[in-house]
Amino acid sequence: MSQPLLDVRNLHTHLHPGNTVVKAVDDVSFSIPRGETFCLVGESGSGKSISALSVIRLLPHGLASHPKGEILFNGQDLLRMPEADLRNIRGSQIAMIFQEPMTSLNPVFTVGEQIVEALQLHHPDMNDAEAEERAILALEQVQLPKVRERFHDYPHQLSGGQRQRVMIAMALACEPELLIADEPTTALDVTVQAEILRLMRKLQDDTGMSTLFITHDFGVVAQMAQQVGVMQRGKLVEVGRTAQVLRNPQHAYTQQLLAAVPENLGKAGSSPHPNSPQQGLGKGEAILQIRDLNVWFPIKKGIFRHTVDHVRAVDGVSLDIPKGQIVALVGESGCGKTTLGRAVLQLEKPTSGSIRLQGQELTGLSARELRPLRPKMQIVFQDPQSSLNPRLLIETTLTEPMQVHGIGSGHEERIELASRVLDDLQLPRDTLWRYPHEFSGGQRQRIGLARALVLNPEFIVCDEITSALDVSVQAEILQLLLKIRAERHLTLLFITHNIGVVEYLSDQTVVMYKGKVVEQGATAQVCGSPQDAYTQKLLAAVPRLMV
Amino acid sequence: MTKHVVSRESFSRRIWLKTWQGMGVRFAFAWIAVLVCMGVFAPFLANSMPLLMSKGGVISAPVLAYLTREDVVVLGMFALAVMLVLVPLGVGKRVVLFVLGTALVTIMVNLLLKPPAVMIYDQFRSPTYTEADWRIMPPIPYAPQDYLRDFGQTGLEAPLEAADRIHLMGTEENGADVFSRMIHASRIALSIGLIATGIALVIGIVLGGLMGYFSGVADMLGMRLVEIFESIPTLFLLLTFVAFFGRSLYMMMIIIGITSWPGYARYVRAEFLKLRKQEYVQAAVASGLPLSSILFRHMLPNGVAPLLVGVSFGVASAILAEATLSFLGLGLVDAPSWGQMLNQAVKSSTFNWWMAAFPGGAIFFTVFAYNLIGEAFRDAIDPQLSRKAGVTA
Repeated sequence: MSQPLLDVRNLHTHLHPGNTVVKAVDDVSFSIPRGETFCLVGESGSGKSISALSVIRLLPHGLASHPKGEILFNGQDLLRMPEADLRNIRGSQIAMIFQEPMTSLNPVFTVGEQIVEALQLHHPDMNDAEAEERAILALEQVQLPKVRERFHDYPHQLSGGQRQRVMIAMALACEPELLIADEPTTALDVTVQAEILRLMRKLQDDTGMSTLFITHDFGVVAQMAQQVGVMQRGKLVEVGRTAQVLRNPQHAYTQQLLAAVPENLGKAGSSPHPNSPQQGLGKGEAILQIRDLNVWFPIKKGIFRHTVDHVRAVDGVSLDIPKGQIVALVGESGCGKTTLGRAVLQLEKPTSGSIRLQGQELTGLSARELRPLRPKMQIVFQDPQSSLNPRLLIETTLTEPMQVHGIGSGHEERIELASRVLDDLQLPRDTLWRYPHEFSGGQRQRIGLARALVLNPEFIVCDEITSALDVSVQAEILQLLLKIRAERHLTLLFITHNIGVVEYLSDQTVVMYKGKVVEQGATAQVCGSPQDAYTQKLLAAVPRLMV
Repeated sequence: MTKHVVSRESFSRRIWLKTWQGMGVRFAFAWIAVLVCMGVFAPFLANSMPLLMSKGGVISAPVLAYLTREDVVVLGMFALAVMLVLVPLGVGKRVVLFVLGTALVTIMVNLLLKPPAVMIYDQFRSPTYTEADWRIMPPIPYAPQDYLRDFGQTGLEAPLEAADRIHLMGTEENGADVFSRMIHASRIALSIGLIATGIALVIGIVLGGLMGYFSGVADMLGMRLVEIFESIPTLFLLLTFVAFFGRSLYMMMIIIGITSWPGYARYVRAEFLKLRKQEYVQAAVASGLPLSSILFRHMLPNGVAPLLVGVSFGVASAILAEATLSFLGLGLVDAPSWGQMLNQAVKSSTFNWWMAAFPGGAIFFTVFAYNLIGEAFRDAIDPQLSRKAGVTA
């Protein structure tokens, strides 16, 4: 244990886009002892992925340089090693898992072939039968079901979680000493994430390898790491044992990050539900009533495109949304929560069932009949990249709907109204005269919120509005949302997969699974003592900060 | 409402200013402008008759008396366009007014103007016209159909070959001045490119947009229609029509237009299929915006980039299609055209370089200019791209 497996000393990585120099990694030092996991945490753009790619020297040659520092792996300096020697180390001694399971496997080879290829590259003396045996063994190790059948499957036939298992199997097949995992579970559902994390811990215990684990999620850090390093703008601001850093953070940035985690948000600030007596009062009048709602997508086959079956995205959902409350709709990807949100707004045509907004039936209305109802119900979307029209000034995006619905008597007045909404959302007024690409993700989400608010809606569907954002930005948006909801007496349907956000924000929680509502009730009750088996599984899978 | 129009105009003005940046595109615009001027003022630039002459104290302008209907319509359209550019109006209103004005001018001219049926250009070199007190001749004193019969047996002559006459670009097989024909042919080249592509664009954007936005059954029927039209070979349809109905420039424009829209429809459909699920389009629907705004304001500007490149190639290929027909000897009989001139370069036993270089160069530069403009426009319409290229002021 005297010599650490990986010792990164004063690493500098500079990127050269155009003629500028970006100090992506600025004097970073850390070491990983054998058999331990080191987590690099930080927000997007903090340089954590660049650090990991520097270790294995995967950054493009002309674009990146390492002016200073050394990376000692088993005492050898990787930064000064010739490319040919490095190739022997990559894969066999240092393996890597990437974030996106959908694109990190080659779609034209079967998963078995890809593992066999990696094996034979590093063990040229291994014959086909042996390599196949080893590959099957590796797949069994990652607990892939029905390994012998899966072996001949192509990547597209596997689910996201299965693909990530295959990636891990491929990385582990050559028995590396160091595994670099770059956000391996970020794209996965929380229950799948829990399984993958459990698997990685077990494999680490079995093989004694070290792991460099990159994540933005402190919950994952708490579960995985012995040591943690917090990165901010290319610098490592705090390094220490995990429990110590999480319980007693020293650096201001670490404290700020930890305070922004939804789990801690509620504890730190004032209670988000000051109007709890109002909850009982609001129970009586439901602003939105959904009855036996079905949204089925036909699966068509043959030349005549006849319908052979349906994908039941939303299957017999009944739901009341009480006025003035925040209702969280929780579920994993593909459970139909987004489809339900869109069906409520008639952006997706329901197959059958009824949706009533303040007693007014929405299904079956034509676009013309719906138009006067549109201002009452609005939606804010998930992706800050695509939720604003890139060709239009924010001014046009905000004032055009107002004009259509006759809000404000003239252009001047509409601009003034829009400016006031921007003030409420803590955006500068000159936002109006800019294009969407000039804003950060968090700012764009606020503009998306502004677009909904200019119509003075009573009900807003928030479709995963914070899931593409960093945790500190997410905290700002959530706090803003609570403030605005109190000021404007809004009713929100908040669609999310993040249980922490649900606990912080919502009054009521609805859990969806495979198109059906499995559990609904007050948030404290659903999260505190879940009744349904799926809800229990979902809540157990959430990586908690304090274990 | 008025404010609204103003803000919208500033959008198009911004696009225009961005397009205008960059050297290549300025040359392209300059070339097109030269072509437009040549097309509009062709009778004043190259003609056998004097622009203005004074004989015995009577001042007359023979060129005005011999203007054809086409000349007058083109001049009227040009005047209309200049007026509309100067008057502050929305883009849509300008287009509508221009179309209406053009139709009006065309009808008036056809009803009122009676140009002489037969032109004998030799008469302008007779004493009636030459023995004047003073006279102003056009820069090129030869009409495109002036075959110089009074000079005897003329034919293919290289530039500046003839001793008594100045032909900067030589003469063609019938003895007419090539420079003069080049100038008059620019009108055909411009109009066939713009009108044929315009027809194709309107059909393509409307059908493609509806197909992409509504998808489902509308898309399926639309795509079958696209496939039917794509299977028609334009050139052979043109040949057939020429064989049955004779040679007409307008027929060519319409045929090229209605056979080339499927390409644009495909572009627009693909873009709209992608865009309709974009969140800002969904947000526009959720805001209750009217369909026309969703289609033309929120979707079209975002899906127009590949279309513009297609259009620049479309204009170019329409010009080439006309040139091809003329080259094959199936173009217009007597009217000058670049393709027809190219044809003559190889027709006789010798290679006549001036018949290849000048019209060929003109076709090349025109096609090239349209491509440059299309690309500049595509970059300008994308705020991200123009910002990156450092184009924005």
